[in-house]
Amino acid sequence: MTKKDKYKKVAYYPGCALEGTGHAYNRSTKAVGKKLGLDLVEVENWNCCGAMEVKNVDPKIQTYLSSRVMSTAANEMNMDVVMAPCNGCYHNLKKAEYDLKNDTESVDVVDRLSKKAGHKTYESGQVETIHALDWIKETIGEDGLRERVKNSLSGIKIANYYGCMYTRPRHIFPEKDAGPGSESTSKPHFMDDLLEAAGAENVDFPLKTACCGGAHTLSDSDTSTKLVLNILKTAKLAGADVIATECPTCHSGLEMHQIRAEKTLGEVVDIKILYFTQLLGMALGLKAKKVGVHENISNSIGFLKEKGLG
Amino acid sequence: MPIHEKSLIRPENLKTHDELILDGVDVSGHWSTFIETRVVSDYNEAIEEEIAALPGGENIHRCWQCGSCTNSCTVNAINPEFNPRYWIYLIRMGMESELLRDKDIIWQCVSCNKCTYACPRDVFPEGVMKATSHWLERKGHTPKSPSMHFDEVFTEQILKTGKIEESRTIRRFFKRTSQGLMQPWMIEMVKRLLKNLPVGMLTRMGIATFVAPRTSNWSGASSAIQEYIDEQHQKQEELLNLSELIDIAQKDAAA
Repeated sequence: MTKKDKYKKVAYYPGCALEGTGHAYNRSTKAVGKKLGLDLVEVENWNCCGAMEVKNVDPKIQTYLSSRVMSTAANEMNMDVVMAPCNGCYHNLKKAEYDLKNDTESVDVVDRLSKKAGHKTYESGQVETIHALDWIKETIGEDGLRERVKNSLSGIKIANYYGCMYTRPRHIFPEKDAGPGSESTSKPHFMDDLLEAAGAENVDFPLKTACCGGAHTLSDSDTSTKLVLNILKTAKLAGADVIATECPTCHSGLEMHQIRAEKTLGEVVDIKILYFTQLLGMALGLKAKKVGVHENISNSIGFLKEKGLG
Repeated sequence: MPIHEKSLIRPENLKTHDELILDGVDVSGHWSTFIETRVVSDYNEAIEEEIAALPGGENIHRCWQCGSCTNSCTVNAINPEFNPRYWIYLIRMGMESELLRDKDIIWQCVSCNKCTYACPRDVFPEGVMKATSHWLERKGHTPKSPSMHFDEVFTEQILKTGKIEESRTIRRFFKRTSQGLMQPWMIEMVKRLLKNLPVGMLTRMGIATFVAPRTSNWSGASSAIQEYIDEQHQKQEELLNLSELIDIAQKDAAA
């Protein structure tokens, strides 16, 4: 089966952030899926993937937590693809997959914990984890999007920001850097491709995979503010009106430290921050409210109206 | 192995004489700047093994000091003192007192994994940074870092409910680190957030603050995880020879 068909119906793993600060991403992902005729079946009774924090306490616990999600999708729901829009979840499921394929100790620990917890042990290879970007790129693609665009994003200059977890470390993403058509870990382009097909003008943005300091967004806020400010200023200098995001932690980090930079450093950078699914949704003809633009902290409602969107 | 970064020569080891004549040649001024020779005798040869015994530190022995990690490091770009290559060198050489000079910044690694990406030897420097900051805390060299507090608050919540509800994590973290929630930027952020938010969304957020979202039938997984954490903790205590430290602390307390 081709990816195009395989990804049409996927197990959807929103993760914790998408039920909280990243709600607009959840909402817009679902709305875009519906509009494009793609089927999202939420993973039943899912748990946290372990995020960065549990990995810091013990990496094997994170592997177990992520494996439980994949086990449910594979063994309880009979699904073979899990789609996670959150970079953290996506990264962790990929990492668990890599560890369970290559490290026998991880396999033993996961098996032991799964048995004690009372569910089937996940075995590597049972599911394929993909990002929301892969999902739209492979099923609809640029040509498909071009056909479906109702309100072109033309006149909107976008800096595409992918963050850390989508491409690093490269060994957990064996399908990337794999020749034509595959995603690049040094210069990712899937989001650029999709938004360009929707009519947007992508600016040359050198910090696509720079770090926003999300890991210490609250525990070392000064560092995060500096890192975010650098990203915002560079995007602005590159001529962007909007930074497009594909991760709830990056998105809320950019929004939060945009304000923190104003309040603590007096540095005001006026740039809108929108999830790529919000932009795609509006291009497909959805109202701004439908894709949760009013849930964002950086206010882009007026700007979008001016551009004939929403 | 020579240390190339100029910044690593400590100011106290730079000796300048205003007037100096050597073998009849006047070398006063900056010609008389010397780097103090040093003799390191307080090696702690156990450090490398101890850090390698903690999660993330396993591959430290593979490092051949190319410096790709420091070169690519996000934090090094804003603070040149943050130098993973140098710390790996010190750990492998057992130069504990030098390592301890930087004990308060090692936890600031943002886990962006640029180092892991750049490393030609699969050292996983990001993991080594985590293992090192855990080592510093477990050995009593530093108090728990804010980051460690955050990780603990987060993990406790997952053990309890299986999921994270962010407002809870944030409130507990601020409480545990004795910080006020009402910082000007936080107030401004909430203000802007509320500006356009519909009532339905507010209600939903309000409910989540009182009733935490949870994974059902979670107790089995939770106790299995807790048991594993305790077991690992115990193992690490032995590998880090912490019982000795604990004994000393107890004797000190008794005296």
